[in-house]
Amino acid sequence: MTHHRDDQATDARHDALRELYQEVIFDHNRSPRNFHLMPDATHQAEGYNPLCGDQLTVYLQIADELVQAASFMGQGCAICTASASLMTEVIKGKPVEEVEALFHDFHALLTTPATERSARDFGKLEVLAGVREFPARVKCATLPWHTLHNAINGGPDTARTE
Amino acid sequence: MKAAPSPLPPQRFEAGTPNIAGAITLAAAIDYVSAIGIETIGAHEQALLARATRALGEIPGVRIVGTARHKAAILSFLVEGIHPHDLGTILDEEGVAIRTGHHCAMPLMTRYGIAGTARASFALYNDFADIDVLVDAIRKAQKLFGTRGTHDTPPG
Repeated sequence: MTHHRDDQATDARHDALRELYQEVIFDHNRSPRNFHLMPDATHQAEGYNPLCGDQLTVYLQIADELVQAASFMGQGCAICTASASLMTEVIKGKPVEEVEALFHDFHALLTTPATERSARDFGKLEVLAGVREFPARVKCATLPWHTLHNAINGGPDTARTE
Repeated sequence: MKAAPSPLPPQRFEAGTPNIAGAITLAAAIDYVSAIGIETIGAHEQALLARATRALGEIPGVRIVGTARHKAAILSFLVEGIHPHDLGTILDEEGVAIRTGHHCAMPLMTRYGIAGTARASFALYNDFADIDVLVDAIRKAQKLFGTRGTHDTPPG
């Protein structure tokens, strides 16, 4: 059950852990923003990773090609919850087209090596970049975004990232 | 080219290479287990389980799920305020591999009203020191998450 890694490697991994679990993540996990139902949503979709149990619904109000409001409900780990919370904050007021571009870029941020990442400024989403070092957790951070993508495009299926 | 001989079923449908390596490995595994003794292994696993159950039970904020008297050497548990997946990642960094989530038993999780559990398994190759590492790792996770582990009272 235990492995004894050399100290240097252990330190590096602990730094990665700190990078993953930053205070902003804890804050959004404890008090998720825009965490409510939206009875007058124009678009919504469900996301569910049955193997791990992360589950959420993303609600949007879209008018004039703009995301006027965004919220979510559900349950998940700290990474999934914080990612959903940050996502709803970031996309509010943005043109749908821009939100879709951000979905693709954010996905690339978490799945491509740091050296190959785009020059885009991810703003507050930057705190999730540390997830890249934990391949098993990428699905947690991207589930809300795939669900958002489905909500915008009216996909009939429940979004899954595992 | 001449026709290949076509045996009668079921041999006709047994195409490909039989799992020779698997059979040899199984025999080796049986020899290994027999040499130590099933009962010796069982006793060791139960000693680990008893020790781990006691140790985790003493950590504030830890709830053990499943307390049947006769159970295999696995320990499902929840840590208050920390989702099992987050716990799994942190324990992994501490060198402790556990399984997290539904454990292919989603109806049971629904019955308990929980999102999943963290689960440690014990086997012949584990020792009491591994349990100490597990306990320390859970306390570190609590510290990182700022949950109860940071301000628990000393035993006594």
